[in-house]
Amino acid sequence: MIRFDGAAKRHPDGTIAVEGLDLDIPAGRTTVLVGPSGCGKTTILRMVNRMVEPTAGRVLLDGTDVSELPAAKLRRGIGYVIQQAGLFPHRRVIDNIATVPYLLGWDRKKARARAAELLELVGLAPELAKRYPFQLSGGQQQRVGVARALAADPPVLLMDEPFSAVDPVVRAGLQDELLRLQAELNKTVLFVTHDIEEAVRLGDQVAVLREHGHIAQLADPHTLLTAPADEGVAAFLGRDRGLRGLGLLPARDVAVRPLTEGSRYNGWELRLDPGGRPTGWVDLGGPAEPHPAPVFHPEVDTLRSALDAAVLSPAGAVVAVDADGRAVGTATREAVLAALTGTRPTGPATADPGPQRPDPQHPEPQRPEARRPDPQRPDGLDERPVSTDGR
Amino acid sequence: MNWINWLNTFFTAPARQSGPDAITHRVTEHLALSGEALFYAALLAVPLGLLIGYTGRGAVAVTALTGVARALPTLGLVTLAVLVGGVTDTAILLPLVALAAPPVLVATVEGVRGTDPDLRDAALGIGLTNRQVLWQVCLPNALPTILSGLRTAAVQVIATATVAAYVGLGGLGRYVIDGLATRDFPATLGGALLVVLLAVATQLLFAGLIRYALPRGVRAQRAAGAETARSS
Repeated sequence: MIRFDGAAKRHPDGTIAVEGLDLDIPAGRTTVLVGPSGCGKTTILRMVNRMVEPTAGRVLLDGTDVSELPAAKLRRGIGYVIQQAGLFPHRRVIDNIATVPYLLGWDRKKARARAAELLELVGLAPELAKRYPFQLSGGQQQRVGVARALAADPPVLLMDEPFSAVDPVVRAGLQDELLRLQAELNKTVLFVTHDIEEAVRLGDQVAVLREHGHIAQLADPHTLLTAPADEGVAAFLGRDRGLRGLGLLPARDVAVRPLTEGSRYNGWELRLDPGGRPTGWVDLGGPAEPHPAPVFHPEVDTLRSALDAAVLSPAGAVVAVDADGRAVGTATREAVLAALTGTRPTGPATADPGPQRPDPQHPEPQRPEARRPDPQRPDGLDERPVSTDGR
Repeated sequence: MNWINWLNTFFTAPARQSGPDAITHRVTEHLALSGEALFYAALLAVPLGLLIGYTGRGAVAVTALTGVARALPTLGLVTLAVLVGGVTDTAILLPLVALAAPPVLVATVEGVRGTDPDLRDAALGIGLTNRQVLWQVCLPNALPTILSGLRTAAVQVIATATVAAYVGLGGLGRYVIDGLATRDFPATLGGALLVVLLAVATQLLFAGLIRYALPRGVRAQRAAGAETARSS
């Protein structure tokens, strides 16, 4: 665990970067620091590995004041990933990843074997090992940066806007990868970003910061989106935070009607190809030309994707598909909205879809990834939210 | 074509083939002297440049001092050194080192300072010590710049080492100075031509070194960078 105990940083010229921060970063979880630029979030992160020395207060790593440890030794035990990857341009990928093992005095063979493992772990092809960093794309470089940080298997990982410099599609891929890795490795991750979307996606807890590193709110992503502490936080979260909150809820609770009873809605009929995949909606009173049929995958997608598909569908209903893209059923917009409160519509939905607070009667699974360890299960890694079906 | 005859006279004279005034002997003397001067200059300037470039302390002083050093007249220094210390190798080495050290120093400082700050930050952040960052990150990064500095210094030293002859020492300067003194213009011209050829050869040698002494990753990156720069 990392504990900030009144940690402050005042620059020599008198400007204050961080003013008396008290914060606990729980072990094995991802804590995201998010805030506008200049709020001190990077300074806070860099206090942990002594890249910044606090001018007051302490930073404790598992109870030890980090300032008591030699800087280089401390840093070798903490993974560090930065925005521009910071790979050594004159070293091959494999040797970049093996940097810390080399520093720790591992022999070359063992270090390289470990580096090869990590290359695979972060989802890169083995043949990239012999490349030089400039021969990789930005996303690949970031993966190598993550692999390098993990090479000596440090319990703590500091990530300073690691995905900010890549395009949105690659960023989403890297975020997925980090979620997957974290589910597997359970590191204590301190992640800095200015992107609230990224923060709620990755964080088990999110600290929204104001200037001088003051914490405006510290909460899990769902609470943050549904109950911002004040107007400042709400403004930072953006106007469609309610909708974005749906991105944290699994779509598996949407009531899906079997195809046999639900393939016609409002004068539109769903057509399937011989393999059972939806080809489109056909307007029964109009031209035979089918309209595209938006789909969602209940086991993987979030309520946000399901609702988005429902909004796009001309028939007002969305097609649920399995992993192979075969239609398994349909759901109306009302059914999608009803899943918000955990109540199932019996006919056309009359249920009140708002407010997006978890219903205390029906403890809503909050995260599709559900990486919060279950105290009952020591592994606690791949725990899935319990479906409300089972009640 | 008078000067062609002169060159012919110069290169075919028996004294140029063997003995102390032979071309091979003078070239060897010249190269040994230049090489020695360059070696000491590098020994002095590279470590100092690495230190100054890494810490950033004294970089302003370096710029100012090298400006002054470049304004020093080498011939004056040679005369001074001879007056103080007599006719020795040191008398000529000192001015040549003073000539060669500034470009090497400036190049080293700039090369180290030119290391990507993010790269240095990442290197420190994952647990390299300052010394390791300097050796494993900044030095490889600065190597091309340092080699360019050495090239500049080497060419200057080879051109200037002719002044050794003024104080009675060897090298290609002998042909030039003695030729002027005895109105033996073929010797002056031949000596000057040899110095030019030597300087050009040095230039080429360093061009090759810079190309092949680079780590592969950096070399290929530069090639790729040059291509994108050209295409944009």
